[in-house]
Amino acid sequence: MTAVPQSTGRELTSPPTDGISNLRFSNHSDNLLVSSWDKSVRLYDASANALRGEFMHGGAVLDCCFHDDSSGFTACADHTVRRLVFNHSREDILGRHDAPVRCIEYSYATGQVITGSWDKTLKCWDPRGSSGQERSLIGTYTQPERVYSLSLVGNRLVVATAGRHVNVYDLRNMNQPEQRRESSLKYQTRCVRCYPNGTGYALSSVEGRVAMEFFDLSEAGQSKKYAFKCHRKSEAGRDIVYPVNSIAFHPIYGTFATGGCDGYVNVWDGNNKKRLYQYPKYPTGIAALSFSRDGRLLAVASSYTYEEGDKPHEPDAIFVRSVNEVEVKPKPKMLPNPAT
Amino acid sequence: MSNGQSDPLLQMETTCGSLLYELQIIWDEVGESDAERDRMLLELERECLEVYRRKVDQANRCRAQIRQAIADSEAELAAICSAMGERPVHIRQSDQNLGNLKEELRAILPQIEEMRKRKCDRKNQFVEVLEQIQKLKHELSNSSGYISTTLVVDEADLSLRKLEELQREMLALQNEKSERLKQVLDHLNSLNSLCLVLGMDFKQTVSEVHPSLGDPEGSKNISHDTIQQLAAAIQKLREIKIQRMQRLQDLAMSLLQLWNLMDTPLEEQQVFQKVTCNVAASENEIVEPNMLSIDIITFVEKEVSRLEELKTSKMKELVLKKKSELEDICRKTHLIPETDSSLDIAIEAIESGAVDATYVLEKIEVEIAKVKEEAFSRKDILDKVEKWMVACEEESWLEEYNRDENRYNAGRGAHLTLKRAEKARVLVNKLPTIVDALASKTSSWENERGIEFTYDGVRLLSMLEEYNILRQEKEQERKRQRDQKKLQGQLLAEQEALYGSKPSPMKNQSTKKGPRLSCGGASNRRLSLGGTILQTPKHDMLHSTKATPNTRHAKKNDRLSHDNPTRDDRFQAMSSGRRGLDIAGLPLKPHSLNPTNAHEIELPIMRKPFSPISSTDSSKSKATNILEDLNTKHNEMLQKTLTSNNTSPFTTPSKTISTMDEENRTPKTMAIPMPSTPSTVSVPMLTAITPAPCVPKSMEDEDIEYSFEERRAGFVLPKDHRKSLVQI
Repeated sequence: MTAVPQSTGRELTSPPTDGISNLRFSNHSDNLLVSSWDKSVRLYDASANALRGEFMHGGAVLDCCFHDDSSGFTACADHTVRRLVFNHSREDILGRHDAPVRCIEYSYATGQVITGSWDKTLKCWDPRGSSGQERSLIGTYTQPERVYSLSLVGNRLVVATAGRHVNVYDLRNMNQPEQRRESSLKYQTRCVRCYPNGTGYALSSVEGRVAMEFFDLSEAGQSKKYAFKCHRKSEAGRDIVYPVNSIAFHPIYGTFATGGCDGYVNVWDGNNKKRLYQYPKYPTGIAALSFSRDGRLLAVASSYTYEEGDKPHEPDAIFVRSVNEVEVKPKPKMLPNPAT
Repeated sequence: MSNGQSDPLLQMETTCGSLLYELQIIWDEVGESDAERDRMLLELERECLEVYRRKVDQANRCRAQIRQAIADSEAELAAICSAMGERPVHIRQSDQNLGNLKEELRAILPQIEEMRKRKCDRKNQFVEVLEQIQKLKHELSNSSGYISTTLVVDEADLSLRKLEELQREMLALQNEKSERLKQVLDHLNSLNSLCLVLGMDFKQTVSEVHPSLGDPEGSKNISHDTIQQLAAAIQKLREIKIQRMQRLQDLAMSLLQLWNLMDTPLEEQQVFQKVTCNVAASENEIVEPNMLSIDIITFVEKEVSRLEELKTSKMKELVLKKKSELEDICRKTHLIPETDSSLDIAIEAIESGAVDATYVLEKIEVEIAKVKEEAFSRKDILDKVEKWMVACEEESWLEEYNRDENRYNAGRGAHLTLKRAEKARVLVNKLPTIVDALASKTSSWENERGIEFTYDGVRLLSMLEEYNILRQEKEQERKRQRDQKKLQGQLLAEQEALYGSKPSPMKNQSTKKGPRLSCGGASNRRLSLGGTILQTPKHDMLHSTKATPNTRHAKKNDRLSHDNPTRDDRFQAMSSGRRGLDIAGLPLKPHSLNPTNAHEIELPIMRKPFSPISSTDSSKSKATNILEDLNTKHNEMLQKTLTSNNTSPFTTPSKTISTMDEENRTPKTMAIPMPSTPSTVSVPMLTAITPAPCVPKSMEDEDIEYSFEERRAGFVLPKDHRKSLVQI
């Protein structure tokens, strides 16, 4: 990996030994939480390039998120939702699903943990009642299909499932979805992320496409939505299309990065419908992306996502690159574009 | 002394002797006879005796008088003593002779004198006490101002015992008096506090009970009546207080509710803080002066009614807003609001106050929820209707445009109209598909719900039918025109044969137009749109594929040699491949192959994605994947071929398995030019209006898609889950 040019960013030492399922920066520091198929959850100090802690679970860890800077939550393939306290290397079991837990989010607005599972349910947990499922479980909400991706903004929760269903919830009233939608994209949903300004969400599919959606159901609101193609390669007049595994919004500018199985990370300006930047190719597909709290760092998980089954692939690695403002700052619309 | 006494007697005897002697001399001289002399002497003797007797009687009488006086005095003394209840100490012992009577009398007189004085004193005491008693009694008994001055003291009994008795009586009366006074004061106190709280004039209230009570210094009337009247007054005031308190608390409650309801600012609330803090207070807890005065109550009352008014107006506003929202939703979803008139009535009723606004609001909310729900179920179809409408508009525009003889005259903006016409033609070609899809969707919707799908009150199906009829008529008209044109052409040809060729502009036009309309070739540029374009109907070809699906590939390959139409075809093939990929979750990378040598290369790579799946699962999943692929394809066709019923012709998938290899091997290429751009330059996104979801429903029905993670984790949905999936 030393051969990788500096432009891909600094590679973290002691990466997970198997596929990286997700990584997230803390909201308070440059700590980075990484979950992996090797059944581990690792806590790195990204700026110091040091491994600060490691937890081993009973199964592949499919997702993780921070609670505060000293604790976090994990979603595990052994059906279990756990809370980790980093300083004391302690782990509590919050509860269990009936199938592997695919994704997990912590809502600062409500202080709840929200998990989505392949058992076609969404569960809300109170992390303070950590002494048993009956006390920590707040509610179970049936979804039309297996949950593939979750995203939160304020009190809004967007749930993307198999079968291209998208449910939009208000966390204050989880009894039924606020909106029931079908994905605008025709193919399986890979990732959904809410805009930081809370007006909508971006949704990516396995077919090199990202849809920009808006919560506002009025005609004017819906007229703004669109979809665009990305992570494709045209060779000799043919297009090769790659899944878009990850979307990460810049916390300050509202622009966003997408990562695909082609190993590229693209930065987009959704308002002006422009691509701002493309980073050099990473050794293998991009499994996950995360901007740090101030948007100065971008963590990139370069990790094979098994889209082509078990095959030889480059080792899994985490790169942390410092983000140049030019790469993420929206460019005014007025600039003449050489491409057109 | 005896000498002194004897002297006058002696003197008297000498004078008597001398007188007798003198008488003898006289008589001797006169010469009285002895007889005479004797008689004279006798007379003298008798006279002397008379004088003695008289003197003795006189003395005797005096003695008796003295005795009488003594006895009287003694009797009086005894009487006084007995009246005063004292032992008669000075009763004279009969044997105890103190001397003569005069001494005795002198001794008894001072005693009497003293006793008399004592008696008088005692009597005064009695009078005093009795007076007191009488006064007290009077004070206690009634209020009449008249005090009887007649005091009767029983002279016979002035004993100390009696006095003490009277004094005790007086004390008791005094006690009673002070007690009553205290009671009165108590009453007055509570009356005062009540008056204070109720904001009433205390003096006036009290004077009404008894004029003397109003005077703070003067003595108070403490009769029973007064106390009773006071108690009654207190009771009355207390009742008033409770009544007012309840009224105030009721008001405070409604105040609080209204505040809560309307988010009244704190400053406005502050004014009534005093009132509202007593909401739960009990009767004796409210002591603040004027807390329950009429003024305060009316003040609060006014505020409540003001807020109430505000609330009703807001309510009304809300109702109107909700109503307009309902109308808005109805308008948007092209529903006819059924309950419009009833709502109007309801609003009138609110204005007249006959109906509670909340009730109406609730009703409207329910209505809105209902309409929203209906709107949600209608949304899909409405979207399609919208599309259809747009298409129709474009169609009519196109007709208009085609009728314009000068349309190809180059002018400002002509290229834009040309473009528009191109697009419109594509759209018009798709129209039958849209109409039929819409009709089938609508009828299934109607079947599902058992009600007619209305669009602005008109049944959508009848609209569609009408449209179809119109269209057929137009078609016939067009055909007629074409025939006519053909006839003209023949005529021209004949003329040509006769006079030499001269190309008619009309003919040129028709040939130019022809291919465009039939194959939608102009839309090639829009291929990046993906989904929408896939539905470009090519009836003849689709019919053939439907009949014999396994021949399709061969046919397609034939067509590959042709230049123009193949693109369309390839696209179709690619899209179906993609769809299959989506279903199976296959990686896309390996599928970018040249269509001409699809067979050789694609097969080995096709297998690869399935390899990680465990051997037990692989065959099954492969089978299902392929099946799905087929089914989706067929459904796609069904849509294209406009069959209105939803039942798939493929009831037994096993029959079609033989065709699947062929289908899977369809070449997947995309002829989409995508310029690779330098990474530093911002590049426009390849955006397109998001296609409305037009994926056949059945695709979701029967397939089980898996994400990369699920396949890696070896996660398989349990059987029953799959079944439930079909229902969705």
